[in-house]
Amino acid sequence: MEKLAKFIIKSRYWIIALTLVITLVLGSFIKNLQINPDILSYLPKDDSVSVLFDQIGEKYGGNQTAVIGFKTDDIFTTNAFKTIEQITDSAEAFDGVSTVISLTNVIDIKEVDSVLEIGKLINEEQFPLSDNELKDLKKYVLSKDMYKGTLVSEDATMTMIAIKFSEGVDKTKSAVLLQKKINKIHTSGKLYYGGLPYMLKNVGDIILNDIIFLGPLAFLVIAITLFFGFKSFSGVVLPLLSVGIAIIWTLGLMALFKYEITLVSNVSPIILLAVGSAYTIHVLNRINETTESDYHKKVQVALSYIIVPVFFASLTTMVGFVSFVFGSYLTMISSFGLFTALGVLFSLLLSVSFVPALLTSFKNKEKANFVKVKPNRKESKMILAFLKRINNLVFNHPKYIISVWAIIVIVFILGTFKIQRKVDMLDYFKKDDSGRLAEEMLREKFGGTLPVYITIKGNIQSPEVLKMMRKTEDYLESLPEISHAQSVADLIEEMNNIMGEGKIIPNDEGKIFNLWFLLEGQDIMEQLVSSDLDEGLIQGTLNTSDSKLMNRVVDKIQLFINNNKSNDFEIEQTGFPSIYKKLDKSLIKSQFQSLIIAIMLVFLAVAGLLKSVTKGFFASIPIIVTLIVLFGFMGFTGIPLDVATVLVGSISIGIGVDYAIHMITHYNYEFKKYGKIKEALEQSIKISGKSITINVVSVTFGFIVLLFSRLVPLQRFGALVGVTMITSGLATLTLLPAIIILSNRYLPKLFTINSLNTFVKKGINTTKEKLH
Amino acid sequence: MKIRKFILPFVVAIFWQGQLNAQTAQQIVDKMDEVANEATDQKTELKIILIDKNGKESTRTATLKSKGDDRMLFRFTSPESQAGISILSLPNGVMYLYLPAYAKERRINASSKGQKFAGTDFCYEDMEVSTIGDKYDAKILSENAETWTLEMNPKPEEKTIYSKLNIIVNKSNYYPQSIEFFHKKTGLKSKKLSNTKIEKIDGHWVATEMEMVDLKSNHKTKMEIESIKFNNGFANDEFSLRELKK
Repeated sequence: MEKLAKFIIKSRYWIIALTLVITLVLGSFIKNLQINPDILSYLPKDDSVSVLFDQIGEKYGGNQTAVIGFKTDDIFTTNAFKTIEQITDSAEAFDGVSTVISLTNVIDIKEVDSVLEIGKLINEEQFPLSDNELKDLKKYVLSKDMYKGTLVSEDATMTMIAIKFSEGVDKTKSAVLLQKKINKIHTSGKLYYGGLPYMLKNVGDIILNDIIFLGPLAFLVIAITLFFGFKSFSGVVLPLLSVGIAIIWTLGLMALFKYEITLVSNVSPIILLAVGSAYTIHVLNRINETTESDYHKKVQVALSYIIVPVFFASLTTMVGFVSFVFGSYLTMISSFGLFTALGVLFSLLLSVSFVPALLTSFKNKEKANFVKVKPNRKESKMILAFLKRINNLVFNHPKYIISVWAIIVIVFILGTFKIQRKVDMLDYFKKDDSGRLAEEMLREKFGGTLPVYITIKGNIQSPEVLKMMRKTEDYLESLPEISHAQSVADLIEEMNNIMGEGKIIPNDEGKIFNLWFLLEGQDIMEQLVSSDLDEGLIQGTLNTSDSKLMNRVVDKIQLFINNNKSNDFEIEQTGFPSIYKKLDKSLIKSQFQSLIIAIMLVFLAVAGLLKSVTKGFFASIPIIVTLIVLFGFMGFTGIPLDVATVLVGSISIGIGVDYAIHMITHYNYEFKKYGKIKEALEQSIKISGKSITINVVSVTFGFIVLLFSRLVPLQRFGALVGVTMITSGLATLTLLPAIIILSNRYLPKLFTINSLNTFVKKGINTTKEKLH
Repeated sequence: MKIRKFILPFVVAIFWQGQLNAQTAQQIVDKMDEVANEATDQKTELKIILIDKNGKESTRTATLKSKGDDRMLFRFTSPESQAGISILSLPNGVMYLYLPAYAKERRINASSKGQKFAGTDFCYEDMEVSTIGDKYDAKILSENAETWTLEMNPKPEEKTIYSKLNIIVNKSNYYPQSIEFFHKKTGLKSKKLSNTKIEKIDGHWVATEMEMVDLKSNHKTKMEIESIKFNNGFANDEFSLRELKK
């Protein structure tokens, strides 16, 4: 390590130059970074649910419906109809739009004075409608289930225009452009934009907002904590500079390899800011504590000590993130893990190369005041006083400490049973969010915007298949979570009725063929049946985005499908709840897998570092306690496991174990020096304890910035990381020493003979030899 | 004075030119309508091939009898699932549909002229037997040795679903080679009809193969005339409900 430290100081100018070059090159890519808020694209492309969903998009003219709600005093007025017509026409002419359905172009099957009419509800030639015509139309529309509650609200104050985008089009982007175009239309009412494309657009906006506003805010907050911790310019600038560069490298690489920022990876910079700054803090702190008159020598000595613990601290953190790569079915999670781990690696490299290179480049100490770290006495005193108390507590009452922690663990274990899995996507947005308000309004008036799709493969012109479609629709509509359902069976029944044989599917295939003939070429057919006539689509409208209810819908539908198997057809389901369920399930599953992988890897890393299985176990205790507190806390406070909060576990392992590593390596180092546990622990608590305390405070404050996020899961995420950092820090400073003291007291062999690493053993032996 | 002397002939020349063009264009259209509507009636056997955007084809056949510009009886003969389905079109927009499986005729209203006819890319307006010169004003856009390109704008009083048509007319026989249809609302080109094979049968020019493409959905309809007989001397009662149900 000494050689490495020497080398770093020797090649300091090269390191600085190289760092600048890499930063400029990678930084130039960042502008290409794309945000992808489309959670539907987060499932692997070959996932069965996802494949079916995409197929529906291709076969039926789109799978994501954007819904524009138009609300005014009365929809059935000349002005309102003019607006609807204008919106419909602009949407139809819009590039990337495949189908538009509104009052002004919807299909209608009716019988007037025994004349069968199949066409549009209103003919193009009929515009503008007279007041009397509008009055009749209102009566007619509100009398038909096809329109009431689906196209026009029951109180006739709101209508909706449903727009599907073609496959292969960036639906979210198109939806935004369309909104801009439509907002130019002068209307006498209010427009609401809902449905998946707009929901996802809102998520994307929030992600961007978070990066733009929360990033700098986190920078500022961490700068302030660092300032109070170090009370020096360099103590603030160097950690932030190195981590800032690491963030630029990470984002640059993401852009270079065409990875997108997702709902999860947008917290990456904030995580790096909080975690990565710690390495530089440890390096600076160590330099401060090193007593050497020559500054270069001082840095070199400090560096040769600190490289190993900082390396292992970052290694375990990386492991925490890399565990996402192995454990995850979802690309968004694995890429998040990969790039955050890379960011951690960059932070480490910069903290042990760029930072000392920068420090030693200003070797003239008198002139180099701004890079010299001067610990502030007053602040240090405060931390020292706090650490002194802890020190006393640990040495005087180790049993109490253990008992208190034991009680905490037991209580929080009870809390873990209360963890909720209920997540409503609408709850992602704050209550006054305009997107949320639009969605709630559309849900109130039209029973929702999110689609449930069921496909039936078979001869869809056969009575069996059509009857099954009808049965499926009836079943869907019987579910409280689904407001309405539609399929081609509705149209066949409607026409059979007009032919005088009742609102049923005819048993005679010939009759179906005849009716089908009338539907051929109708725009809506493309959205209901495949062009080969071997598959039909049943579309239901979901009136909830509550994860629990959605999961229930998926399960119920699956049960229905299983109970209705037949040789004549094959039924499958997809849609928003199916995808959400799959996403949610794989998220939770992969999180728990990565949690276990993380614990194992961290244990191995620590045991390897300390060359002792026992110490690996000891170092793991604070993390395990932290995890229990984390999940218990979630249970007690009602914070659900969701896309963001589910990440906290692995992250807290990665970050939390650093404290234990610093503590134990320091203890080993001091034990080698003093040969006595008490002094070794005292020194460890004093010096490493300070770094840990500063780190806990800065990381916690850094994450607390997330409380200002507009996305609720990120707010919770921030709060939870805060809780775990404090727990982890406290457990390391109190529980770990208490265990060392007690185990030493009762199991002296364990800690002095068996588990000492060979390095320490050698030290003891040489001391013994010298004594002799 | 000088200016007037210079400009006046110029303005007159432009004005004249416009008049000249309009007249000529109108003459072309009149001649075109005359060529298309020479026969008093016709009986056609048709092959209709529908081609979806993926290139998948489905074929049906039909017979078509028509008399004058307001009587038509259209009957599908294959595929089996559609054989016998018939449409009778009578003067004043009265239309009947016969569904053989129900053994019932129903009066139908092709509520909008823009509605597609029997799953093809032709809409009811395209199927109307009518003289184009009565509904549109013509203007010559360009011409070459073989063809004129006409721009047809609907007369103000005419209700049509198109904002304009661009027709390429063959100079030798006054038969249209292609028609581009522009959508009324968007003003965009929405469909294109190509008369891919034009023959003279029994002294009448007729497009025996044509293709209509819906440019938005990329759906195509090919129509091939397998046989055509002109001037059969159909009586009016050959276009009756009794005939429809046969």
